[in-house]
Amino acid sequence: MKRTFTKILVAMLLSAASACNYLDMIPDNVATLDHAFNERTQARKFLFTCYSFMPKTGSPSGDPAMLGGDELWWAVARADRMWGIARGEQSVINPIGSQLERLYQGIRNCNIFLENIDRVPDMTEVEKRQWAAEIKFLKAYYHFYLVRMYGPIPLIRENLPISADPETVQVSRESIEDCFDYIITLIDEAIKDLPLTVEDPTQDAGRVDKIAAISIKAKITVYAASPLFNGNSDQAGLANPDGTPLFNTEYSEEKWARAAAACKQAIDLCHSAGKSLYEFGSTYLQYALTDTISTQLSLRNVLSPSVRGWNEEMLWANTNSMASRNFQLLIFPAMETLTGTTSLRGELSPPLKIAEMFYTHHGVPITEDKTWDYLNRYALRTAGSDDRLYIREGYTTASLHFDREPRFYASIGFDGGIWYGHGNYDDRAPGSLFNIEARGGQRNSISSQASTITGYFLKKLNHFENVARLNNSVSIHEYPWPLIRLADLYLLYAESLNESEGPQADVYLYLNKVRTRAGLPTVESAWTTFSTQPEKYTTKAGLREIIRHERLNELAFEGQRFWDLRRWKEATNELNQTIRGWDGFQADPADYYRPVVLFNQTFSTKDYFWPFDENTIIKNKNLVQNLGW
Amino acid sequence: MKLATFFIFVGCLHLSATAWSQTGNSTLSISLKKVPLEEALATIAQKSGYHLLYNNEKLAQTNSNVSIRMRRGTVTEIMDECLKGFPLSYRIVDRTIIITPRTASAVRAETRKPIIVAGVISDSTGNPLPGVAVFDKKNKTIGTTSDQDGRYVLEVGDNATLVFSMIGFIDQEIEVKGQTIINVVMQASADELEEIVVTAFGNKEKRSDMVGSVSSISARDLAKNPSSNLTTALAGRAAGIIAFQRSGEPGEDNADFFIRGITTFGTGKVDPLILIDGIELTPTDLARVQPNDIASFTVLKDATATAVYGARGANGVILVTTKEGTDGKARLSIQLENSFSRPTRDIELADPITYMQLHNEAVKTRDPLGSLPYSREKIAKTAEGSNPIVYPANDWVNMLFKDFAATRRVNVNVNGGGSVARYFVSGSYNRDNGLLNVDPRNNFNNNIKLDSYKLRSNVNINLRPDTRLTVRLNGTFDDYTGPIQGGAATYEQVMHSNPVLFPAYYPVDSTHRFTKHILFGNYQSLENTALYINPYAEMVKGYRDYSRALMLAQVELEQDLDFLTEGLAFKTMVNTYRKSYFSVTRAYNPHFYQIGHYDKLTDTYSITSLNAETATEYLNYEKSPNEVSTSFYLEAILNYNRRFHEKHGIGAMSVFQMKQNLDAQGADLQQSLPFRNMGVSGKVTYDYDRRYYAEFAFGYNGSERFASNHRFGFFPSFGVAWSISNEQFFEPLSRSITNLRLRATYGLIGNDAIGEPDDRFFYLSNIDMNASNRSATFGNGSSSYFSLPGVNITRYSNYDITWETATKRNIAMELGLFDKWSFNVEYYTQVRKNILMDRASIPVTMGLTAPIRANVGEASGKGIDASVDYQQTFMNGFWISALGNFTYATNKFEVYEEPNYDESWRYRAGRPINQPMGYIAERLFIDDEEARNAPLQNFGPYGGGDIKYLDVNRDGQITQADQVPIGTPTVPEIVYGFGVSLGYKNVDVSFFFQGLTNESFMIDANATWPFAGQNALLKVYADDYWSEDNRNINALFPRLSPTVNENNVQSSTWWLRDGTFLRLKQAEIGFSLPDALLEKIKANSLRLYVNGSNLITFSKFKLWDVEMGGQGLGYPIQRVFNIGLNMNL
Repeated sequence: MKRTFTKILVAMLLSAASACNYLDMIPDNVATLDHAFNERTQARKFLFTCYSFMPKTGSPSGDPAMLGGDELWWAVARADRMWGIARGEQSVINPIGSQLERLYQGIRNCNIFLENIDRVPDMTEVEKRQWAAEIKFLKAYYHFYLVRMYGPIPLIRENLPISADPETVQVSRESIEDCFDYIITLIDEAIKDLPLTVEDPTQDAGRVDKIAAISIKAKITVYAASPLFNGNSDQAGLANPDGTPLFNTEYSEEKWARAAAACKQAIDLCHSAGKSLYEFGSTYLQYALTDTISTQLSLRNVLSPSVRGWNEEMLWANTNSMASRNFQLLIFPAMETLTGTTSLRGELSPPLKIAEMFYTHHGVPITEDKTWDYLNRYALRTAGSDDRLYIREGYTTASLHFDREPRFYASIGFDGGIWYGHGNYDDRAPGSLFNIEARGGQRNSISSQASTITGYFLKKLNHFENVARLNNSVSIHEYPWPLIRLADLYLLYAESLNESEGPQADVYLYLNKVRTRAGLPTVESAWTTFSTQPEKYTTKAGLREIIRHERLNELAFEGQRFWDLRRWKEATNELNQTIRGWDGFQADPADYYRPVVLFNQTFSTKDYFWPFDENTIIKNKNLVQNLGW
Repeated sequence: MKLATFFIFVGCLHLSATAWSQTGNSTLSISLKKVPLEEALATIAQKSGYHLLYNNEKLAQTNSNVSIRMRRGTVTEIMDECLKGFPLSYRIVDRTIIITPRTASAVRAETRKPIIVAGVISDSTGNPLPGVAVFDKKNKTIGTTSDQDGRYVLEVGDNATLVFSMIGFIDQEIEVKGQTIINVVMQASADELEEIVVTAFGNKEKRSDMVGSVSSISARDLAKNPSSNLTTALAGRAAGIIAFQRSGEPGEDNADFFIRGITTFGTGKVDPLILIDGIELTPTDLARVQPNDIASFTVLKDATATAVYGARGANGVILVTTKEGTDGKARLSIQLENSFSRPTRDIELADPITYMQLHNEAVKTRDPLGSLPYSREKIAKTAEGSNPIVYPANDWVNMLFKDFAATRRVNVNVNGGGSVARYFVSGSYNRDNGLLNVDPRNNFNNNIKLDSYKLRSNVNINLRPDTRLTVRLNGTFDDYTGPIQGGAATYEQVMHSNPVLFPAYYPVDSTHRFTKHILFGNYQSLENTALYINPYAEMVKGYRDYSRALMLAQVELEQDLDFLTEGLAFKTMVNTYRKSYFSVTRAYNPHFYQIGHYDKLTDTYSITSLNAETATEYLNYEKSPNEVSTSFYLEAILNYNRRFHEKHGIGAMSVFQMKQNLDAQGADLQQSLPFRNMGVSGKVTYDYDRRYYAEFAFGYNGSERFASNHRFGFFPSFGVAWSISNEQFFEPLSRSITNLRLRATYGLIGNDAIGEPDDRFFYLSNIDMNASNRSATFGNGSSSYFSLPGVNITRYSNYDITWETATKRNIAMELGLFDKWSFNVEYYTQVRKNILMDRASIPVTMGLTAPIRANVGEASGKGIDASVDYQQTFMNGFWISALGNFTYATNKFEVYEEPNYDESWRYRAGRPINQPMGYIAERLFIDDEEARNAPLQNFGPYGGGDIKYLDVNRDGQITQADQVPIGTPTVPEIVYGFGVSLGYKNVDVSFFFQGLTNESFMIDANATWPFAGQNALLKVYADDYWSEDNRNINALFPRLSPTVNENNVQSSTWWLRDGTFLRLKQAEIGFSLPDALLEKIKANSLRLYVNGSNLITFSKFKLWDVEMGGQGLGYPIQRVFNIGLNMNL
């Protein structure tokens, strides 16, 4: 027995000795950061990772520019976070639409990529430089996005180590000029190594090329020169804890000159790369289109480059945030009286003020057109045969809907308005085309399934080839969200040139290029002939107003108005008004066409910039809160 | 198999031997060829009509066969022949053949006149006591145990002193002095079953020798709880357990329980280590243990008691051992129970008319232009009740739920054994039913039905006199069918369903007379095309099946090592288990209908289908992920226990253990690797003269979770005790103060179960190289878009993460009075250091995708456990016992890394860990005007009738800076229980009260917000809310709103409630059949009883059962009435 026991004891001691490795659980090859850069295919994943932080543009829940301003309104029952900004619910507790976490994560990943890309063994030097350039651009773009939201921000030029002590990680905001300088320098660095256009558009379209980088850079220089960032005295009190002021309150016209130069440089490069304003053409399928519809499709389809490849006007679009199926269903009116449940929602509603924003068919604002009866714009009028491609013949609707510019008809749907496309393409037989019927009890009325709260529908973003008949046959064409297109660049150039040099030939030239494509006469002829202020375009201030208005009309619903109103410091005027719509439950046109107030918007100086989350401020004492929050 | 046959055989043998007691003497003839000795003896007994008495154990060691051929031999002759060659001798006393081993001592004792002593041992009521240890005081190797009839036989020297000993009874010593028949009446000890306590690694220690802090619950008390869930019986039953139950749903009704509260705020394990027969299992496994199978239930609380478990015991240990077989014939025990349960409290809802009126009011008060959801006509017609189909007014609660649910429990166990082996086999079957109604038109049952089966088999085999092998096999199987979302969700759906828009279903009309499916009601408005929840349809549309199994196999080997040195023993145990779980659902898509057309004049209607395209009449099938896990565990223990010179008691134990768990559902590679843990621990105890005690214990543990520099931790502890009542000088007091003892312990315990499950291997970074949330897409869509997944860092490497440590101190006093009262009071403190927490100083600008953690947190806890026991038996057969337990456990943050707040009240340090933070609700705003002029509240629109919060920091707005700690912790600080049992002759009565206090909870304002998401309207809200007509600024509910008003649902004192309660947790009346009747039915005992649980509750909170806390809309806690029968054959 003794011997047996001794044997057992020895065996146990031996097994205990071998058990020392028992706890070494980790097998080799557990993924670590090193694996991300040990070969090209993995590094490419990391490249994609950096792109994955692109802000969600064009999404009602992800992009404040959709529902956070006054361009679109929603039914109360469909409350969504971003809409809270429009309704003045922004607060320092869990701020609506905060991008701090996401974008600083993006920036950290960009820095990791830039630190490590040289280590990848199986890549050519050229490719490494090109990828690094893309990531440098993204890093700059993410910084820019934050500046646009928050004003001066802490710049993360390089990553701080995880183990950095608490004093080091408490970074402070840098002055607005330093922010813009850093961003622009970074893009300039990137531009050197980027290809003019992506090599293989079928796989790479949406990645940054020289065209995208230079045009975004142009846009950023314009932001830097704009009133919100250029000599903004409202922000004089914003300073770091050590007293460093974050805003230079001195206005500099020089910044506009730099912007104009950057825009011109971008335009020239785009032209050299074959970029031009998009024209739809005169036929679709077997149909020879009328000029009216052809012009309208030029304006609508400019956003939707996916169908025939990216069109010639698109400079950079966000393939990581598409105008998605869900989004397009959200703006899709019921095309016929539907039974049963349907996924069509048609509920993002442009308010009345956006309907009034568009020009008359003479290309001037409705308030200025001598020939257009502004005072009686809510009076009823019945469509005649001349209007048949715009309004259902014989249909009674508001005078406001008559004699408007093509962009009005391309951008919004209204009670009685013809809605080309979506399965009905024969515009020579206008009776076959769909039209909205939005009064009480009608198929698109406020109480129907796909309803609008204001009486208007968003047509521009709904791809004209989408078809929705019955519930089970909805086909949607998704397309990448446009971030910048040539018309945008033209208008930026016109704006900065006017600011730096005043009215001059190039300003009119590029303004008119955009107007011509939109089927409008030139600025000079339109104002001279039709405006109550015929001299307006000859002065710097008047022309500024015209350029801005042109921009709002041309880029309506593209997520630009929200930011433009802010950078012009116009938001305090525009966003302190009422949101109005038609009296949607009324069936009789006389009752329906009475504007009702849906909301009183308020906007004060503090709203120009996002608040930092109060916890962010508490964690980092060096990070000062924006004024007013 | 052979073994089993043998057991049954032995059992039969005994029965037959006693049954054949006929007269007849002189001679008999016998012829046996190669039969086992037992069989031979049985035949002799049968033929002679003599009784046979022998020690099974010793007899079983004789494994050779016997052959006898004898004609007309006397019994003596035959016996001589029979036992020839066996180490056995016999003696005939009063027609009983007594067989005893011819042991060495017996041989030695020949010089000292060996005699055979026999007798019957019974308790004070005269019932025979099986399993009593009988041994020679001077030579403990001479000993036996009493059989099932309380009989024993032992051969000792005629001047020996016999010791009779059994758990729960006072040891008796009787000098033999030549007596051959010694019958003994054992006296129950003062604290029954408390005398011997099962402690770490199954050691049995005398309560009076213990240094560590240990409390235990008697299995009998656990069995009084009429529930199929053992965990619900714990609250108030033992000092040191904080326990509370939040749900009454069969299968989901585990109580939460913590030993001495929670003293950590990390995200890791906070509940105790649960060991069932030494195997680490989960609370659900504990819940399924049958009280009837339990031999002991022990709670180890302080550092020295748990030290040998090392890192596993940081949060305390619950030890359960199951019964083992005792010598003797098979004894069958049967328990049958039948319970009826219903909710302790129903939630009262407002009537449908009020519901509609207030919904209209809610819309109007928030938006004067809003369209009203219910027309005046609909309200009037509904009130009239003339057409309940077109104008329904549903009482969903009554429609969906039955008044009571029935539960059935059967437990059968059999135990017995002989000198070779003993066995305990137990099987049980529980059927728990839910409260849900079943629609007879479905051919399936959607009510909750939880069948659980248990089989347990414990077999102890004596391989050699000093070697024992124990094999335990145990299976627990749950089969469940129930509603798809579970019972709690069904309850919640009822609370989120509209009572007036549609009936549960439409009666079959002429158009649908051929329709096979149920015409469920629903509603689709023009504005809202989504269908509503029809809770009835949701409940009856299908069912979910799940099946859970636990299979467990365990082998233990014990070897006495007396040959090396006296008192040394070695024990090893290996076990493994397999757990599996799967669940499937089968359901049809209900057909929903809505009133299409209603003719008011003729009062006729037609119905139209809402979802004819998608609805199905047949069942669809869906499976859920399966869960499978395995575990392997090994321990080896060297034990040494000896007393020197009567005065010096020395004990030592060293333990090696290793453990591996493997989970088939690891979410990533790191989680898929086996979980491993190993350690060496040990303990040394010394006592001097049972007066002064000292103990030292340590755990040396390794955890795979830490980097190699932190992998092993050493955690020592020590304790001392002083039995004052054993002192010489105490003699004068010892008649009144029967026990007085002081104890103190101090120790360090480590914990590696920190962080979340996906935080394995803290020291490594974790990177998802194929993260879909980091993917990007490019391309022009001309063919398809090109996507690649990205890289996501989910953890940054950190080589500094290490053990969480607890420093525990415990001082205790035990006091026994008059052998009837015993008091036990303990005071403890605990300091937890190195608690893992997120670094607070990392600003968002760092851009980290995973939190940075460090062992920087500290917390402390302290509290008091106290228990009192009282026990007395009177001469006339009346007995009474009472017990009381009190647990107070409080804790607070000591170091909590947080930002530098400007406001002192925001710091957590110094505050109780589970105390909620919230705003101070002053009252409701009187009107909009007042709301406009008050400090800005940042949560959303608000006005008159909404909650006004206190601007604590007076900065003119309400932000998180105005949140203060409110109320008491959400985990109760005080849990107590007390009860009395008494009996007289055949009747016994007991009741037990349990309560808790220092707990608060929040009413879930979002979930109870009327009308929002079709939430039901609680009657208490309807009766007391702010309205424009009745601007009651202290109303229970703020201004109504059709959607949740964010301002009003913030965490605040407005919704905070006191969770204090006291309840009659359990009461029982039992009746035992008198002996005369038992004889007739040939049973040893039979007891009938009626008991109940949760019978009366005292609490200020009336909305729902207060113990459910913030989860009051879930499946209610049940009040149970139970009838049971317990029979022993």
